[in-house]
Amino acid sequence: MSSKKWLAMFLATVLFLGACVLGFNRLADPFGVFPGKALEWPSYEMTMNPRTAKITYLKEHHQEYDSYVLGCSSTSSFPVEALNEYLDASFYNMIMYGADMLDVEQDAVYLLEHYEVKNLVVNIYLDNACTYDQVSNPLSYSMPPETTGESPLTFYTKYLFMDPRHSLDKLAAMREDTYLTQSFDVFNAVTGAYDKKVRDAESIGSLDRYYETYPIFANYPEASYETTREAVNGTLESLTRIRDFCLEKGVNLLVVTAPVYADHMDYFDPQQVADFFTGLAQVTPYWDFSYSSVSFEPRYFYDETHFRNCVGEMALARVFGDDSIYIPEDFGVYVTPENVQAHVEAMGNTQPMAAEDYTAEVPVLLYHHIAQEGNEDIIISESLFRAHMEALVQNGCTPLFPEDLAAYVQTGAPLPEKPVLITFDDGYLSNYEIAWPILEELGLVGTIFTIGSTAGNVDHYKDTDHPITPHFSWEQGSEMVASGVISIQSHTYDMHQWAPYEEGKARENILAWEGESEEDYRQALSQDCDLIRQTILEETGEDAVRAIAYPSGLYDDLAQVTLLENGFDITFSTQVGCNTLVKGQPQTLLGLCRYNMNESVSVEQLLEWVAPARG
Amino acid sequence: MMEELLAILTEAVPGVDFELETALVDDEILESLDIVTIVSEIKDAFDVEITVDDLIPQNFNSVEAMLALIEARQN
Amino acid sequence: MSFTTLPFLILVGASVVLYYVVPKQCQWVLLLAASMVFYCVGGGKTVLYVFYTAATVYTATLALGHWNTLKRNAPKEDKKAITAKYKPHRRAVVAAACLANFVLLYVLKYWNFTADLLQPAVDVLIPGAQIPLSELVLPLGVSFFMFQSVGYVIDVYRDKYQPEKNFLKLLLFVSFFPQMVQGPISRFDALAPQLLAKRSVNYTDLKYGIQLVMWGYFKKLVIADRTAVLVNTVMDDPWSHSGSVLAFAIFFYCIQLYGDFSGGIDITRGVARMFGIDLAENFRQPIFSTSLTDFWRRWHITLGAWMRDYLFYPLSLSKPFGRLGKFTRKHIKGKLGKIIPTSLATFIIYFVIGIWHGANWRYVAFGFWNGAIITMSLLLAPKYVQWKEKLHINEDSRWWHLFQMVRTNILVFFGRYITRAPRFLTAVWMVKETFLHPHWPDLWNGTLMTLGLTGGDFLVIALGVLVLLCAEWYEEKHGSVRAMLETKSPLVQCVAILVPLVVLFCFGVLRADYISSDFIYKQF
Repeated sequence: MSSKKWLAMFLATVLFLGACVLGFNRLADPFGVFPGKALEWPSYEMTMNPRTAKITYLKEHHQEYDSYVLGCSSTSSFPVEALNEYLDASFYNMIMYGADMLDVEQDAVYLLEHYEVKNLVVNIYLDNACTYDQVSNPLSYSMPPETTGESPLTFYTKYLFMDPRHSLDKLAAMREDTYLTQSFDVFNAVTGAYDKKVRDAESIGSLDRYYETYPIFANYPEASYETTREAVNGTLESLTRIRDFCLEKGVNLLVVTAPVYADHMDYFDPQQVADFFTGLAQVTPYWDFSYSSVSFEPRYFYDETHFRNCVGEMALARVFGDDSIYIPEDFGVYVTPENVQAHVEAMGNTQPMAAEDYTAEVPVLLYHHIAQEGNEDIIISESLFRAHMEALVQNGCTPLFPEDLAAYVQTGAPLPEKPVLITFDDGYLSNYEIAWPILEELGLVGTIFTIGSTAGNVDHYKDTDHPITPHFSWEQGSEMVASGVISIQSHTYDMHQWAPYEEGKARENILAWEGESEEDYRQALSQDCDLIRQTILEETGEDAVRAIAYPSGLYDDLAQVTLLENGFDITFSTQVGCNTLVKGQPQTLLGLCRYNMNESVSVEQLLEWVAPARG
Repeated sequence: MMEELLAILTEAVPGVDFELETALVDDEILESLDIVTIVSEIKDAFDVEITVDDLIPQNFNSVEAMLALIEARQN
Repeated sequence: MSFTTLPFLILVGASVVLYYVVPKQCQWVLLLAASMVFYCVGGGKTVLYVFYTAATVYTATLALGHWNTLKRNAPKEDKKAITAKYKPHRRAVVAAACLANFVLLYVLKYWNFTADLLQPAVDVLIPGAQIPLSELVLPLGVSFFMFQSVGYVIDVYRDKYQPEKNFLKLLLFVSFFPQMVQGPISRFDALAPQLLAKRSVNYTDLKYGIQLVMWGYFKKLVIADRTAVLVNTVMDDPWSHSGSVLAFAIFFYCIQLYGDFSGGIDITRGVARMFGIDLAENFRQPIFSTSLTDFWRRWHITLGAWMRDYLFYPLSLSKPFGRLGKFTRKHIKGKLGKIIPTSLATFIIYFVIGIWHGANWRYVAFGFWNGAIITMSLLLAPKYVQWKEKLHINEDSRWWHLFQMVRTNILVFFGRYITRAPRFLTAVWMVKETFLHPHWPDLWNGTLMTLGLTGGDFLVIALGVLVLLCAEWYEEKHGSVRAMLETKSPLVQCVAILVPLVVLFCFGVLRADYISSDFIYKQF
């Protein structure tokens, strides 16, 4: 090969390799900067760069939306579902992590100029007073050129010639993708908000347990935040321009400030905060949620800078005057130039709520079968059971239904002084024959988590020859429900099978089989949820079926998420302990602990367990 | 003189056939240490002044070249 | 401007293209312009030092050249008289030029070191006095261009050639950009004519240049930069690692240093080659060295040659050394008496080579280490001959050769402890740890995986070093790999373009320190 030919080959190879990189980056487009591509995966792209990927997503989907929420990451927790309901609109959450008000303005202008917009919700976080016009990692934080006026050439070149490992990462993530949220797909592309399905399905209880899971709240890192003149002015000027543009376009503008965690707030200078909020009021009236009793409750926060979706629901309920859900009294103030002075002064007096005012301690007792003789596993003797019940009465305890707990958490409905729950798993005939009369006699109530497929099996397990401890029938169930003493809830229809008696592969609990596809599993669990709910509603006349006791107490993220999606928002485990309920925090209804009751549990032991009960 | 020079060379750098080699420096048979040793021996033995300027490969590549250098300096 | 940055590649690409486009008489001007751009972008204001060196050298060589001409043109009978007459002038000028550069080099590179050294003494003598420290920025490649320029002055002083009359052409010789970072230290008579030559496009030169550059990048990016991660991790905090890990890190440092330095030289020579310029070789398979002297003839060759021609020879042949020689011959019998002055000169040379590397006790110790070993072996050489005879060792046997190689590499290895440790005393401690508390299991119990490199990185390094060794072996035994490739079929040659490019891209350009965007929102 001549040297000239060699050089030609060399140049051709270099160009070829360059073209490969370029083509691959264009094809995979992990940052979502190009519309229409082979490997479309909006939630991944939004995770890599929400600024570009959301604008790109809207190019194809803007007809589905008529309203937008804008702001930094805490904005995600103003649920679009609630906004849609209150404003009869179709919202898209444009949240961009690390967004400053310039990003927000650029997005707002772009949306107002290009699409039909009815409402615009702008969320202001305290950090907006500290930073303005900042770009960190250029690939993940760049705004699209349509919004900034940057030359498209330089912009797209950056993404075409980037390290192709970004594109490879996308392919690798595709293989690892699951239904659950993972670090590479934290967005829900359809709502635009963070996909919090896993975080919103985790069981929350006592503060101690929360501190253990999220040590950051127990030991908040020391810091010092300074607002800067440039950032404050920049933010206010951007907001002014957004306001004026909305006015011009006849768009309804709602400005809110996100709740700030109290320890985070402590590292700001109160005067600086007051100045910022005062300046804000001069631009536009706004709903201030930044600092209230909510700020002091870590269970209302995902982490030190992000409040939870449930708090966003309370905030929106306050804005739109919805009193059907619980809202702390001091949460949310409509700030105008007239009241801003008084408001910022009052901020200094913000106090946490007393625990008694918004939390409750509820022990839950778990019985199974009742017989003449008990054992140390799941059978209790009739006499001891009666003794337990009488002790509860004498001790002033008030047994409740799961529904009552939900009412406390969701609407703030009061609980009795010493609330307890008496529950029975599996649905044994002895519940009907022994427990029900005793409860009725003593004026107590209980909840039976029954297995649908074995209801009425008296002699044999299903249609096998295997003997079984007798289960009550649906007729018997309906008698109990009708008495108002018993609530019948789910222990699954047929996902608590007894493996040795089953012919095929048994569903012993609600976890997925090893190797089972996510899709098949979720379908199986959803079908079971429907079936048990329909059966209980139809066969027993129960009002609502929304509580479930996990078979064998086993569950995981995917199971809990799927249950929630199927309307089971009160769930019981077999973990031992008392339960802390928090008003406005529905996750305190998940994975409730229960004390297993059998012949070894003395009356004294029982009284010790129910002692913490507090309504 | 040739014999004397050969004796000096063989003593300074044993194991080299100086009569045959014609690229002693270029082929790295002689290294700088050897050259300096040889030069100081030559200076002593023939009582000539050899300066740094003379230390170029051409002058040391062969016995003949060295001999020529010595003769040039003796005059 | 580092070799591994995009601006450097752009500068090279643009200047190569322009070089063959501009009129031939302007070609050298283009090289000068490229060099100035390189220096100004890479070194900023320190370009002034380049001008300083060029100016001092220019003035001195013009004067020396003038006297040389007078001498040469003088009638035979006057020659001696004229030589004698100008001798003091010539000496003064050459000394002044050397001083002008070395004093500046000293201030730039060594002043703070000496100041620290002298401060305690000053504290005692004049309490409260503070030796002022130099705040000057060390210019890019200062040791290289100053040594190269001083060599030129001395050559003119020795009347080896005529001085360059055009200042700009001399400036190009001083500042030719490919060799500004890592050398080599070129000779005027070899380099200047090439810089000033008028050239048409030569595809073979371009091809060789590109090949050499790619090979250099391979050594630098794929091998050296990877090994550097582990070396830096360990050396940032040597105290928390066991002796075996320290030894492993030094072993990696040997690879890193060779890959980085020889790779850099290959890039330099490759770039120069694209302009049709052949620069001096600086490395010749140092791994095959059979002795430490041999090592220094294969490693950083141009520095060794410089030291030999401009320091070792003059020193050995100087009058004091002559007198010393006479004295030792008289008083010490046998060979020993004869070689003592040479040994002393050798020792001094390696000492200077040590200090040349930098202003630090480590480099002083490094020079001492090399000087001591080489001097010892010189002094013991007669004994070796006796021992070898007693042990019936055949000097030509392959095993003996291998033994020598291993021995030399071990000596070099321990020398590297000194140059890489953060302080000299740490180096001593590290050697001690290696022998006293090696804790060998650390080499296979997964500890190495915690030092910043993944298993994949180790594999890449291992394969890279293997390729490097094969190439070195081939060059040592058979000659140029490039020439061998040329005899292969076009297909093989195309593969030899594609594979290196892909390897370079995947394992070199895509750096190990890639951070995936995964980190962004970890709190989720």
